[in-house]
Amino acid sequence: MINASNSAKPAPTPSQEDPELLAQFEQRISDGILIEPGDWMPEAYRMGMLAMAEHHANSEIIGALPEGEWITRAPSLRRKLALTAKVQDEVGHGQMLYRVSQELGKSRDDMLRDLVTGKTKYHNCFNYPAPTWADIAMIQWLIDGAAIMNQKTLADGAYGPYVRTMNRINMEEAFHFKSGEDMVLTLMSGTKSQKKMTQAAFDRWWPVTLMFFGPADKPNAESRPPMRWRMKIEKNDSLRQRFVNRFAPAAQDLGLKINIVTKDDQGNVTSTTPDEAIMLDEESGNWTFTQPDWDEFWRVIRGNGPCNDHRLSLRRFSYEQGGWVRKAVGSGTISTPPAA
Amino acid sequence: MSKIREQLIQHEGQLPPGTPDTDHWIVYTQKKTEAPFKWAGSLNAPDTELAVQFAGEHYGLDEVCTSILTHHGSFAHDGPCGIEPLQPGDAVGDDGSSWCAFGLPRRGGNLTLVGTVNAPDVDTAIARATCQYANGKFVQFRVVPEEKIVISDGKGSLIWRLHDMTYKFARGYSKDVREKWTRIRDEEKYEDYRKEDIHKHF
Repeated sequence: MINASNSAKPAPTPSQEDPELLAQFEQRISDGILIEPGDWMPEAYRMGMLAMAEHHANSEIIGALPEGEWITRAPSLRRKLALTAKVQDEVGHGQMLYRVSQELGKSRDDMLRDLVTGKTKYHNCFNYPAPTWADIAMIQWLIDGAAIMNQKTLADGAYGPYVRTMNRINMEEAFHFKSGEDMVLTLMSGTKSQKKMTQAAFDRWWPVTLMFFGPADKPNAESRPPMRWRMKIEKNDSLRQRFVNRFAPAAQDLGLKINIVTKDDQGNVTSTTPDEAIMLDEESGNWTFTQPDWDEFWRVIRGNGPCNDHRLSLRRFSYEQGGWVRKAVGSGTISTPPAA
Repeated sequence: MSKIREQLIQHEGQLPPGTPDTDHWIVYTQKKTEAPFKWAGSLNAPDTELAVQFAGEHYGLDEVCTSILTHHGSFAHDGPCGIEPLQPGDAVGDDGSSWCAFGLPRRGGNLTLVGTVNAPDVDTAIARATCQYANGKFVQFRVVPEEKIVISDGKGSLIWRLHDMTYKFARGYSKDVREKWTRIRDEEKYEDYRKEDIHKHF
């Protein structure tokens, strides 16, 4: 998903680029030819790809925070090993995506600083709390399931380095998703209280996952640069519909109820009513559903979600605490850690 | 949960001064002995020793691999990237120092170590690599001076852990998950649901 705020200065618009080079570039894109770093590309494309890769990298490392909190509290050794591996993977994805972004012209240090000062964003879904083990199951089943849907399309994009990285990342996402499925299936085959806990977590994460794909695209999205240049290749609404088609019947078969929920400022569900819109439309083959609360989406993206402050303050703490290591490693000078 | 994670840490003042990024290194992994080294990714590290260690910790643990090849990013010299596979040309010769040649099979693909060439300079090395290895199979060649390449084969440093690592792979869950799903859903529904999986990794 494009986060235009990650760009430091306005890029030349396509009309300011060399028309001949731009035409060749666009022809390549429409012929399905991938762009490699040595190729000419419009500045707006470079900056758009940078914004996208940086936003993705930020999301990977912030996304590790809610799950990382549960490593010490995992219910079995097998789950602990899997969760540890997953968190390690997510941070590794961040490292790979920051490398892609560095190649596009921004230093890693600048990206980490822009993240902790709120100048750049990360994915909204990580601004929600994960109060129970079932929330970890839902993050891995629903959020990683949604991420796989999105990232499979991104792996069909046009920028070679991002496509290569996406293919490596998706390989690991497959493990995360299967691990999540296994946890949800286990919990929903468990005791009454396990099922209750899982339903409560599902109520918290279903609307958040619907928002994961972003709001509806602007009109004529296909002709605007992100899609015209194959930085993204599928519309947000189309991905959301595919997600619902896959997960709504699966959730129902598991015994989960799809509800419309209201939440308090802390992200706790305060009321639920069954989503009467959930049903299969035989004619279109699509499942109908109630849209999430888009006002909430904008509130959270502006920094007013339940965990925005917590996530960023912890990330800043890590950045500041790690400064002495970066300094020592980078300059070879001996340094000491700050007082805790 | 640790106290650090439970509390909202209050920060005062500006961020401390930043630190410049350390050098850029490129990493290739070999999945089996005798298999070619293929591009795995890149990383930042201040020197060779830390680069090799970081490569092992990061890329060596993603998938089973027997060796890791690393070189400083500044030693990578890329030839032009073709739309169509490159034709060999006629740059034959054997003088000069040794260069490792990596071929890109297609745009968006992974560079693969194809062999070595001798050449007195970068341009000749790329031309000779193209002549020797292109054969209509690659769209681009990268050459790196052989003396600048570091290969870690796991003998001196651990690449792949010695204990059971299968918990890291989706295939460990695939059978369990199928069994659990098919207790509550029929095979047809399950197969339809699985269409969105990343199949090639199971």
